[in-house]
Amino acid sequence: MGSFEYYKPESVAEAMALMEGSGGKGVYISGGTDVMVLIRQRKLSPGCLISLRNVRDLDYVDTSSGLAVGSAVTHNAIAKNDLIQKRYTALSDAASKVGSLQIRNVATMGGNICNAAPSADTACPLLVLDASVVIAGKSGERAVPIDEFFLGPNKVALGPGEIVKGFAMPAFSEKTGSAYIKHTRRQAMDLPMLGVAARVTIRIDGNEIGCRDALCTIDNISNVLKRFEDEKLVCEDARIALGVVAPRPMRAKKAETALKGKVISEGLFEEIGEIAASECQPRDSIRGEAWYRRDMVRVLTKRAILRAVDRVIRPDDTIWPERLW
Amino acid sequence: MEGLKYVGKRIPKKDAPLKATGQAVYIQDLKLPGMLYGKILYSKYPHAKILRLDVSKAAALPGVRAVLTGADVPNNFKFGFLKDNPPLKSGKVLSTRDEIAAVAAITQEIADEAVDLIEVEYEELPGIFDPIEAMKEGAALLHEETKSNVLKLPWKFVNGDVEAAKKESAFIAEDSYTTQWVTHCCLGTSGCVASFDVSNNLTIYSNTQIPSLAQNDFLEALKVFGLKNKRVRVIQNTIGGGFGSKLDTYAYEYIAILLALRTRKPVKVVFSREEEFLATSPRQPTITRISQGCDGNGKLTFREIEMVLDNGAYTSWGATTPSVMMVPISSLYKVPNIKYTAKCVYTNNTYSQAFRGYGNPQATFAIESCLDELAIKAGIDPVEIRRINANEPGEVTPQNFRITSCGLKDCIEEVVNRLDWKNKHGKRNGRGVGMASLIHVGGAARVYKSDGCGTIIKVDDNGKVDVITGSSEIGQGSETIIAQIVAEVLGVGMDDINVINNDTDVCPWDVGVHASRTTFVAGNSALGAAEKIKAQIMEIAAKNLGEPVEALDMQDGVIFSKNDREKNIPLAKVLRKAHYTLGGRMLVAENFYDPPNENFDQTFRGNLSVAYAYGTHGVEVEVDRETGQVKILNYIAAHDVGKAINPMLLEGQIYGGGLQGVGYALGERMIWDRGYLKNGNFLDYKMPTVRDIPPVQAVIVESDEQAGPFGAKGIGEPGLVPTAPAIANAVYDAVGVRIKDLPITPEKVLRALKEKEGQKV
Repeated sequence: MGSFEYYKPESVAEAMALMEGSGGKGVYISGGTDVMVLIRQRKLSPGCLISLRNVRDLDYVDTSSGLAVGSAVTHNAIAKNDLIQKRYTALSDAASKVGSLQIRNVATMGGNICNAAPSADTACPLLVLDASVVIAGKSGERAVPIDEFFLGPNKVALGPGEIVKGFAMPAFSEKTGSAYIKHTRRQAMDLPMLGVAARVTIRIDGNEIGCRDALCTIDNISNVLKRFEDEKLVCEDARIALGVVAPRPMRAKKAETALKGKVISEGLFEEIGEIAASECQPRDSIRGEAWYRRDMVRVLTKRAILRAVDRVIRPDDTIWPERLW
Repeated sequence: MEGLKYVGKRIPKKDAPLKATGQAVYIQDLKLPGMLYGKILYSKYPHAKILRLDVSKAAALPGVRAVLTGADVPNNFKFGFLKDNPPLKSGKVLSTRDEIAAVAAITQEIADEAVDLIEVEYEELPGIFDPIEAMKEGAALLHEETKSNVLKLPWKFVNGDVEAAKKESAFIAEDSYTTQWVTHCCLGTSGCVASFDVSNNLTIYSNTQIPSLAQNDFLEALKVFGLKNKRVRVIQNTIGGGFGSKLDTYAYEYIAILLALRTRKPVKVVFSREEEFLATSPRQPTITRISQGCDGNGKLTFREIEMVLDNGAYTSWGATTPSVMMVPISSLYKVPNIKYTAKCVYTNNTYSQAFRGYGNPQATFAIESCLDELAIKAGIDPVEIRRINANEPGEVTPQNFRITSCGLKDCIEEVVNRLDWKNKHGKRNGRGVGMASLIHVGGAARVYKSDGCGTIIKVDDNGKVDVITGSSEIGQGSETIIAQIVAEVLGVGMDDINVINNDTDVCPWDVGVHASRTTFVAGNSALGAAEKIKAQIMEIAAKNLGEPVEALDMQDGVIFSKNDREKNIPLAKVLRKAHYTLGGRMLVAENFYDPPNENFDQTFRGNLSVAYAYGTHGVEVEVDRETGQVKILNYIAAHDVGKAINPMLLEGQIYGGGLQGVGYALGERMIWDRGYLKNGNFLDYKMPTVRDIPPVQAVIVESDEQAGPFGAKGIGEPGLVPTAPAIANAVYDAVGVRIKDLPITPEKVLRALKEKEGQKV
């Protein structure tokens, strides 16, 4: 490992000034779980590291309108946040599955997104939660929809010296549920072979949806859904996002369109899974074969939608514990 | 065996506090005055001619003290089982782990940088990466001096008449099974520090599992280097895991020696994790053709196995694993007619070594998977076919193994009961149960001319006991086991016993930590030494107490008369009386234990081990039919261990072995793609994490082995031997597909399910 200067600015402005003064040789570092690995592998040799850890205005979770999360918030903080668990569940699903506890304690969502690996766990949830990226630059702040932020593998829409301040998401009602499924070979310390996130907003004419006595069971969601067959639950809005199966995290827009406005049923979700599978472009690699990844997009899209629906119908987390899945 | 105070107790490992507090000194921590740091350059290609090797830039880098290439290895020195491996290769490289140059520098960073400055020009040659290809007529030879890529090794065992038995069999199951490369994943990476004194005597700090044999290897090397009549001292730091990976000497050790010789300074070579994956020797992959038959009642009639092993480019102990594969092939269950042949074949892949089980897991995967297939053909419950053919005490197997204690039937019943086999087997509802058994050497293994281990015990003025043993602690807990045995025999506390086990200048001879032999051999050796020193102590105490020796006993470091406990004398006082007496004496005892086992004869018959270890694993799995993922719901590992000297450490061996087996069965594989290692890191090499541990019940079956220390047999290796076939059998029971190629990945399961349903993949 070569030697380099290390700075600990306390504001975004100070950080950007340091970057400007570094003559193009500076690298921002936050949790360090990606940057340090690259440095030790000698794939990155920065002139200086500019740490964002002490920058207070990057470390916030604001729930006053929708959700605003600072880029320096750690995965563990996201995974444990009550509101995120309740209304932005896909995001807590993803944050709780990154690396290991030790990594989640330091790795930040800003880093996860700016690293822009096709396998970034928090990318798919942000895509389905209609997040926008708040970027600070010399000429002030701007917001970019997350779908436009990813340009390609390890490429994002950041100008020289710019810093991602955070992510903003709209408010969702209790009629919206979301989920993220990370498909891995082991339970920790793994990248996804693929990742699928889904969000659905459900409408039911005249009545409130939600846990009713009859439904407060530990029954499989497929069986629970059958009890709604007469009531015509309609999927009012939907988002589906896929990770690892394209050069960048992608929306499965055809699948979304096919889901919107339909009366929900497991059979419908099977079809949606097939559409999503046809939209992705998985590759063979040592981490997984293309045919398997495509087939898993089919299976896990269905499961992610089911899980998202379940979270609307049975919002009390005591009755949809992990073991149901 | 009632009234035991230390043996049979759950006593924490003696070295646990050191490790838990980070005070254990590993090779990584060692720093000698003036020490230099070494770094090795590996080949860029799996098969190539080296046209030009220019080290001038590296040598000119400030801080570099020496750069060596193949030209600097004296007298064409080669090491390894067939002496086919030069520590630095010249002229031609045969694999991507070939060492072609090495640097010593004043810091590790400078050494790393210098290695990058070495310029090499290669002419790439076509490689052979498939042992079947390598065996074909006209295939290019890896080692030009040989006539064939098939190693000249005599792996063949025949008993009875297999052809006749085939004709008489009512049912025959036949298939091919294949296994993958897996590596040991020791938490402590490999390394050594080599240092010469002014007279060119070598001290080498090494992670070896075989200090006495390594000492000999290094002495041989020094002779070839022109240093005759020198001494070699091997010192082991705390070793972070072995599992067989340190059963042979490595090129890096000879490189460190050559660098130290050149620079006249101590030189340290420690592997990075990536190097550990690339340049240590894994378990060898196998291609197995197996056929087994039974009569109408399920009694086994024959077993025929042909095996091909990928030896890699050079030869280490991997090439001898067929000798241990013969143990299950000839003797797991009662099989009268046996035919086994194995070929080890040179390829341009990594060369293989010993790994826990030493070939037994590969052989048992084929035998036990095929046995379930046979049971299906014969319409017999898999449990029943195993009951019918189970080994028993008193049996003499086709290889002339004399079975003494044998708890196999008990192990099978433990699994059946704890798994609720009756209610769970044969449902095909996505959940299934499977089982597999094992036999392994459990009372040492005479693979060398000697299978011995020495122990010296000395007692000091304060009543403290030093046990100096030839056997090594590599994390398995031998230190604690030996201390328990000595404490029990002598009647002193665990804390009064100090085990010294890491220095060939001090420790007596031993053939090494292998073959699950340490508790049995080092334990028996220590037991004998303890009895000898006890006799000496009692003799002096008897004089002092005016009592006959027979009337005396010792507990908690105090010798007393069994007739009158008031008549007693502390051990320390006995010692002082021995020392501070005119014409006095010191209290030292030595004992060499070499078990009464036999080397194989030319037909591979002979009682290899004094006792044999048995076990049965049973597993319940759930298979996700949509994703192909296999989840272990319940895992029973029942082992006949003779006697548990320390149930806690023993369970640790079973959990550890079982989990290593789960990795082998479900996910671990080194991906060598045309000679290149594609997943040499813990991200892509899928060793299970703590979150992947299934619920394992370790069941200890005690069969009281008369030849073992306090009745104990070995347990170091058995834990991972039957894991893969037990899981494969359970997957079959759950969804009706048989995976015959390890590891059982979700892709393979899903593909098999789709093919079964006539779907295209």
